[in-house]
Amino acid sequence: MGNILELKNLSKSYAKSEFTLDQISFSLPYGSILGFVGENGAGKTTTISCILNTIGKDSGTVKLFGQEMGDADTGIREKIGVVYDGDNFPGVWTAGQLSKVMAGLYTNWDQPLFQKYLVDFHLPMKQKIRQYSKGMTMKLAIAAALAHHPELLILDEATSGLDPVMRDDILDVFLEFVQEENHSILLSSHITSDLEKVADYIAFIHNGRLILTAAKDDLVYRYAVLRCRENQFHALDKEDILAYRKRDMQIDVLVADGREARRKYKDVVVDHTSVDEIMLLLVKGERV
Amino acid sequence: MRGLLRNNFYTALPNVKVFTGIAVLLGAFVVAMDNAVPSLIIGYALLVIIGFSLISIASVRKESAAKWGKYKLTTPVKRADIALSFFVSQLLWLFVGIGFAGFGIAMSIGLHGYPFDRSTDVFMLLVVGTGISLFMGAIFFPLYFLGGEERSEVMMVVSLLGGIGMMMGLSSLINRVYSGNMTSRQIILSGIFITACSAAAFAASFPVTAGVFRKKEY
Repeated sequence: MGNILELKNLSKSYAKSEFTLDQISFSLPYGSILGFVGENGAGKTTTISCILNTIGKDSGTVKLFGQEMGDADTGIREKIGVVYDGDNFPGVWTAGQLSKVMAGLYTNWDQPLFQKYLVDFHLPMKQKIRQYSKGMTMKLAIAAALAHHPELLILDEATSGLDPVMRDDILDVFLEFVQEENHSILLSSHITSDLEKVADYIAFIHNGRLILTAAKDDLVYRYAVLRCRENQFHALDKEDILAYRKRDMQIDVLVADGREARRKYKDVVVDHTSVDEIMLLLVKGERV
Repeated sequence: MRGLLRNNFYTALPNVKVFTGIAVLLGAFVVAMDNAVPSLIIGYALLVIIGFSLISIASVRKESAAKWGKYKLTTPVKRADIALSFFVSQLLWLFVGIGFAGFGIAMSIGLHGYPFDRSTDVFMLLVVGTGISLFMGAIFFPLYFLGGEERSEVMMVVSLLGGIGMMMGLSSLINRVYSGNMTSRQIILSGIFITACSAAAFAASFPVTAGVFRKKEY
């Protein structure tokens, strides 16, 4: 069905910072969730800001629904729901006032749907937003992002700071959202367990560079970590090694094909891995 | 635009409620007092006209306290419309201030008689309040987006003083042109001139603000 979002060689640098977003390329197919993972300061928010045009890019292309979005392309923004980490809305407002503002901004604003989310999420309509807990403000932001019937949700650390029960509730909402085949989610997070639960694809970013993009099932079921001793490590075929990390007497080696590694290196322990471990190996490990 | 104006209204509302309460109490006091010396009514009129405008522009910085300023850019509105909404909102609150001032003056005149020397003085009082408010807005909005939200308090003071300074400058100019006692016609012409200058500055400030805001990164 194609891609709802496509980034090609997206680059961005700041005059007063050494940080550079370097040639980021990935795509998000319709009907799927892409987990965008990286440590704090890796470049997730900068990438999202470039996608949403809140900052200008230096070079590269960002296509949303097949076209580049400029300031005047309000029709594209009608189809996007956004949630940022933290306070998305002025604390002096109530959810009711937020709803009235949103109704004036979005042509598809669905007041009954928004109210349904408020009820489902146990959010009081007349309470000031600054009196909400962190979890409540995030739920409110998610309700607001969903209530204008978007096709693409862009969530920047939307689950950070929430307790596991609340995160699970919210992840269920995301899974329900992508049941529609034209709906997609770009979910930026450093909580890899969330991404393991819901993502179809995962893109790893580190120091402004995309270091790996793969289907989550491949990462979890195909990728593997070899637990090697020093001599076993040196005997490995260098082409198989994506990253490695020395830990005391053991060297953990990330490989893209665990089954092949088991066949090839019979004397080495080959473990299934997790997104968390892959991220650690890619970020803190070394390359050959 | 409707959503943006609602946004500005709800953001200003908490301060407006407090200021309206003060304006009502102060207005009641001013109206109750004898207006033989009109300084109270002059002070009240300028306070409410400039005060409502000041509250309108002060509320802009509340958006930067949350991520709403950035969030708003992801909604289906153009940056130029966001900038325009700030100008329109300030204009609407200015009318509210003029309404309060006009009502207070009318009540005072109704109860205690006409306190001023000339029939044009009420008109000039409204002109001065309106002029300062418009110049203030014209200076504040581009500076706010240029200087950053964290300097908004300084920008507000600078724009208020700038508005007063512009008014004093225009008054000096008019006094030079019409030396000696001015006729009512000359005073009205001067008032129209001041209003036209402040309105022109306010209107010219919008494209400048929109241009600055277009390049602003969040």
